[in-house]
Amino acid sequence: MSHGDTIPLHPSSQSDIDEIENLINAGPATVLPAHPPSPQRASIPVSSSPFIPSNLPPPPPSAPAAAFQKAPTSTPPSVPAAESSRRGIAADGFGSPPNTLTEPVWDTVRRDLSRIVSNLKLVVFPNPFREDPGKALRDWDLWGPFFFIVFLGLTLSWSASVKKSEVFAVAFAVLAAGAIILTLNVLLLGGHIIFFQSLSLLGYCLFPLDLGALICMLKDNVIIKIIVVSITLAWSSWAAYPFMSAAVNPKRKALALYPVFLMYISVGFLIIAID
Amino acid sequence: MEEGYTSLPTSHLLGSVPAAVAEEKAKGAASESSSANLQIFPPANGGYQAPGSPYGGDDQATSSWKGVCSISSYTPYFNVDTDIVVGRLISSVYPMNDFTGKIDGNPDLYGPIWISTTLVFMLAALGNCATYLMHKRNEPDIAWAFDVTYVNWAACIIYGYALAVPVAFYFLLRYFGCNASLIRLWCMWGYSLFIFVPSSLLLIAPVEIFRWIIIILAGAASSWFVALNLKSYTEGSDLMVLIVSALLLQIVLALFIKIFFFA
Repeated sequence: MSHGDTIPLHPSSQSDIDEIENLINAGPATVLPAHPPSPQRASIPVSSSPFIPSNLPPPPPSAPAAAFQKAPTSTPPSVPAAESSRRGIAADGFGSPPNTLTEPVWDTVRRDLSRIVSNLKLVVFPNPFREDPGKALRDWDLWGPFFFIVFLGLTLSWSASVKKSEVFAVAFAVLAAGAIILTLNVLLLGGHIIFFQSLSLLGYCLFPLDLGALICMLKDNVIIKIIVVSITLAWSSWAAYPFMSAAVNPKRKALALYPVFLMYISVGFLIIAID
Repeated sequence: MEEGYTSLPTSHLLGSVPAAVAEEKAKGAASESSSANLQIFPPANGGYQAPGSPYGGDDQATSSWKGVCSISSYTPYFNVDTDIVVGRLISSVYPMNDFTGKIDGNPDLYGPIWISTTLVFMLAALGNCATYLMHKRNEPDIAWAFDVTYVNWAACIIYGYALAVPVAFYFLLRYFGCNASLIRLWCMWGYSLFIFVPSSLLLIAPVEIFRWIIIILAGAASSWFVALNLKSYTEGSDLMVLIVSALLLQIVLALFIKIFFFA
């Protein structure tokens, strides 16, 4: 179908078109997952396509009231069956998606928490994946960074004696806007980085500073604060260094890393100075 | 398809476009081969471009504009390496070097953005340090609290100055017939703020005379830098009024920094 065009295609477009044609012709059973299947994200079952034979019994037009009452009870058992019939064209294509909408809340929370813990272990603690930044944070999420930023803002706000809400606002704004600006900085310098993966990474690297802020809140001595903040600052910078430096050209490494250090140093200073 | 445009038999018509199209096509081809081509991902050469390649003047930069929200339309302004930035920083401290010549081919926005951000952070942090030291010296009994509004003030003033003053001068220079480039003006004013970063470190010392000497020296060096570069920028026309006003504005900024943050 591409041969009938008069405009010659870009060489990479032809390979894309071939790939899509293979997908359509070969069927979804041969689709390989783009990356190792992670704990399934919550997915809303797609239920509106008219071409899929649905196992839901069509509501009889003569008794709409009865069907209306019957539908809520019959939907949960028939949804898994409908989903298994729609297996091939499910949105993520990794096999039948589990029923994440109807699972107990505790299961969802536990799954998200385990993801946060595993990401934390990959980013902040020494592990063999740090040399390959792309692989390390494959399964990024934004819950962890959100918790860490809010926790840091709350701790700083709690430690402050005056203008508590302004302290929280400044801390939250600096960290959130700072993560976005740092990612944009890497992209503008010509680096390769995935936007949300980088946001996630910078959020996870705040974990040591969270610990430092907690310790500083409990102990009020200036010398101890300086020591604790210096150690956690060095830890945070060490955690963020391989990911940021691998993303840009080596001649611009310092240009990409300096803003990261600036942001962490400014947060560290905020932790020391608030009393 | 594009080859067809140059062979259109309209060049004999007045005000016809083909010549510009052919020229643009040549420029477009040159920039396509080495720029971040959005059809090929990742971009060629790992996205790295030696500084000083096709993005030479203003007209080159505008031809790669892909819209306000596309990152690749801003990348020409960040096409600098570490050693280039360090060289520009050093030449901003000694006003005698020819800064305009350095940035002529490749004005960058990395310097202005991160110098102003560093200055905002330093003013907020060191301003609080300075009030703490003065407080401990003069009134050691009363509790000192970290004043977080310094961050807000510093951000408003420094970012506002670095953004608005070059824009104002851009319009004024255009009005007086000078051929001005907004990016170069932003670049120059941004680098002129660099000298306040080390001088704010020195301003912590709680001795009043010392602080005034430091800020007067820093303000003088910075405004001399601005005036010198503005003069070499507007070579032909005689716009002493503008140059003197730029110098005075920079001195006012220096005095404001001293009075507000390091009182």
